[in-house]
Amino acid sequence: MNSILTACKKLGVASVAVGFTRSRDEMVRFSNNSVTVVNSWQNEVPSIYLASEGKRAACRIEDENVNFEVIARELADSMKVMPRGDVDFDLPAGPFAYQEIEGIYDKRLTEIDSGLVDAAETAINSAIKAGAERVSGVVISGSWEHFVLTSAGAEGSSKGTGIEITVRGFAASDATGQGISIATNLSRFHPAEAGSMAGTIARKARGATNGTSGKFNVVFGPAIFADLVDRAADSASAYSVDLGLSFLHDSIGKRVASEKFTLYDNGRLPNGPGSIGLDDEGYPTGETHLITRGTLENYLHTSYTAAKHNSRLTGSAQFEGGAAGMVPTPRNLIVEPGEQQFEDLLDRAQSGLYITNNWYTRFQNYQTGDFSTICRDGVFEIRNGKLGNPVKGLRVSDNMIRILQSIEMLSKERHWIRWWEVPTPTLTPYVLVRDVGITTANK
Amino acid sequence: MEDKTRLAVEQALKHGADYAEARAQRDFGHTLTLNNGIPEPVTVTRRLGIGIRVIVDGSMGFASTNSLESSQIRTAAETAVKIARAATRLISKPSELAPEKSCEDKWEVRMKVDIGEVSIEEKLDVLFSIEKALSLDQVNVSLPSRILLLDDELTEKFYLNSEGSKIRGIVPRISLFFILTAEETGKGTIQRMRHEAQSRGWEAVKEWDPPALATGEARMLGRMLREGKQPPTGEIDLVLGSEVTGIICHESCGHPQEADRILGREGAQAGESYVTREMLGKRIGSEHVTIIDDPTLPNSYGFYMYDDEGVRAKPRTLIKDGVIFDFLHNRETAAEFGVSSNAAARSIAYDREPIIRMGNTFMKPEDYTLDELVEDVERGVYMKSFMEWNIDDRRYNQRYVGLEAYAIENGKIAMPVRNPILEVTTPGLYGSVDAVGKEMEFAGATCGKGDPQQGAPVWTGGPPIRIRKIRLGG
Repeated sequence: MNSILTACKKLGVASVAVGFTRSRDEMVRFSNNSVTVVNSWQNEVPSIYLASEGKRAACRIEDENVNFEVIARELADSMKVMPRGDVDFDLPAGPFAYQEIEGIYDKRLTEIDSGLVDAAETAINSAIKAGAERVSGVVISGSWEHFVLTSAGAEGSSKGTGIEITVRGFAASDATGQGISIATNLSRFHPAEAGSMAGTIARKARGATNGTSGKFNVVFGPAIFADLVDRAADSASAYSVDLGLSFLHDSIGKRVASEKFTLYDNGRLPNGPGSIGLDDEGYPTGETHLITRGTLENYLHTSYTAAKHNSRLTGSAQFEGGAAGMVPTPRNLIVEPGEQQFEDLLDRAQSGLYITNNWYTRFQNYQTGDFSTICRDGVFEIRNGKLGNPVKGLRVSDNMIRILQSIEMLSKERHWIRWWEVPTPTLTPYVLVRDVGITTANK
Repeated sequence: MEDKTRLAVEQALKHGADYAEARAQRDFGHTLTLNNGIPEPVTVTRRLGIGIRVIVDGSMGFASTNSLESSQIRTAAETAVKIARAATRLISKPSELAPEKSCEDKWEVRMKVDIGEVSIEEKLDVLFSIEKALSLDQVNVSLPSRILLLDDELTEKFYLNSEGSKIRGIVPRISLFFILTAEETGKGTIQRMRHEAQSRGWEAVKEWDPPALATGEARMLGRMLREGKQPPTGEIDLVLGSEVTGIICHESCGHPQEADRILGREGAQAGESYVTREMLGKRIGSEHVTIIDDPTLPNSYGFYMYDDEGVRAKPRTLIKDGVIFDFLHNRETAAEFGVSSNAAARSIAYDREPIIRMGNTFMKPEDYTLDELVEDVERGVYMKSFMEWNIDDRRYNQRYVGLEAYAIENGKIAMPVRNPILEVTTPGLYGSVDAVGKEMEFAGATCGKGDPQQGAPVWTGGPPIRIRKIRLGG
């Protein structure tokens, strides 16, 4: 890493952040109660981020034949032909002290071997016992070490492990349920519970009839609410704001949600699946309050966006491949719980829907927050404050700000969610929202 | 690359694999972005690695490494076999591959202008030319947000398997993507995404005429904002533009007819399918509906000559005259169905297993002009493009919200209408098609599937089509 840093500095670049990630991951995918494929990855990947006069360039180097000096020169030369950026900024000036984060490294997960197949089997059996006939899913475990060295004097590393399972139970082709367990150490990993949840929801979803469109009081389960929260956090990234793709633009200090709703990001949460000691600009991660009792307090920042918004750093800089370079990214999203039980939410709703999961969220307008998303897995009527019959064929068609502002009640019970559709680990309760727009197919 | 893939396959067989294949892949490219006229970081892609897939006692394993050192390849090959073997006790149905004749071949999409030889400056100039063209006086609408992105990538793959197949392929891809937000006082905002993409050299960019593309879209946004009215209610007829036809074919034909989805392999991720294997030969739409997926369309974004199992690519007719005719197969699903693979196995990177993907999915044109489709509509909407869309994970219940859209009154295109919503089932939609146009257009797209996700370059396309007696959603 030092040689890359030296090569870049020789080229006259003002700011350099070099990253290096060593990772090992294994994944078991299963469907119809049987393993379909096992995947294994072992990677060592350096990355380079350069900045000078507000201009920036970046490369993730997944080619060991690459000469770092050549890449550095190519990036520096590309910056020479760019116009001056809109804001001068510096990488955070180190050195920094990085505290160890409790519970995010479990040596047992570096040697799990056939343990993943065991976890898949446990989940399958548990889902079948709870009522599923067929079970699909994926279990993945991994270990990583991440190093950062910058021209601003920051140098540090962090390491972690993780294991997670997504289980989907099928009691019929249109009666399904999902369960998830994610953890950084084996003691907190519960594949049986995930399987049981998937099978139970699938069993209860049998015999679903087509639902109707209209406005409903909706109790959102953790899986679907985590997706909505992830979208809100994405909108709270200063990068999204600057791209014109945020429904939280120009909203710092404004009421964007119900006063019952508080959301924060914590990159150093003990046992947090997304926790890491430092961001990719070498700044220590920390806790950032995004929405506090309904008011938008902060955006997530990199050093570039912080300079642009005249704001403080949040330890959120993450190197992304593709178009973006360094992007402010949440690590662990935490929704503050309420005081109520799940049954209290149903009772308060009196009539409406309980939606356990969703899929394929898309926006008509990212700035206004108009969107729709498909209800997936078990959806149940709420009648007289209790769960009723299963229904299907529904879509949430609404507006993100309206939904956040119409939150009426949150449960005390929370679940960690991360899966194919929700990339950021999110801890969220069940949530009651009033008058949610629900639509169905017209033909 | 050949000696590395050969080493990988040999090692896998040595450790006990019944079948082995290795694919070395190099990706090399650049992405440039302007955000409201300010460059985002120039990012450079440099990827090279090897992926090894094996079958051991009916269990499939995949391992990869981004090191081509012999010791690392040996380790990856051994790992692939070891993890596959460890899973055999949880296999209820052993993986088998449909037979294929081995072959050796090389293919390459040749560029007239090598994207690797085009300077960063020249690429930035294209983006700045678009930015300049989007000024208020030129497009007559305020554009508070303009994201312009130019992406190029050259991919080289070397594939080798234990049956003797050996394929080398080289394909360049170039892509222009933009998101514009238009605003009008008192009318709010409206957003448009547009993606032009081909497997081609830099010569594609000049043909696209990016400033003209972008200014055309911007002026349209202004018109929709200023003049757009509520869409008609009640039962109407719809004419869908090529862009909407294309996304419909992709979402509600291509995806549900992926055989791995039908077999449940994606059940926990992208979902399964309302289509079952018994539905081959079943009518799903009118006789006007024929939908094809063809990876061999020259310079298409989803182009390939051989898939990532070494099978020669060809067009696949998925729905023929309204009847479900074929599925997209790889060698594993082909074995299950008792057919031959039709070359649908694709992987986007060295570290991803090949899975069933589309190439370029489109509705076959018939013989109506757009005017002819419209003139037989008394009361309806012409939905030319869309912004919001989604479909359920069985590919049955879909929604498209119009962006550029117009009322049709007495056989003529009339005033703009705002956000008409088509929310319909797959048989409801295909069963209502009563006429298909003749002018074909394609749009670039990045299709998501697999775990971990693989964003595959594809085209979606077709002619305009007409559907009868639909109630718009709300």
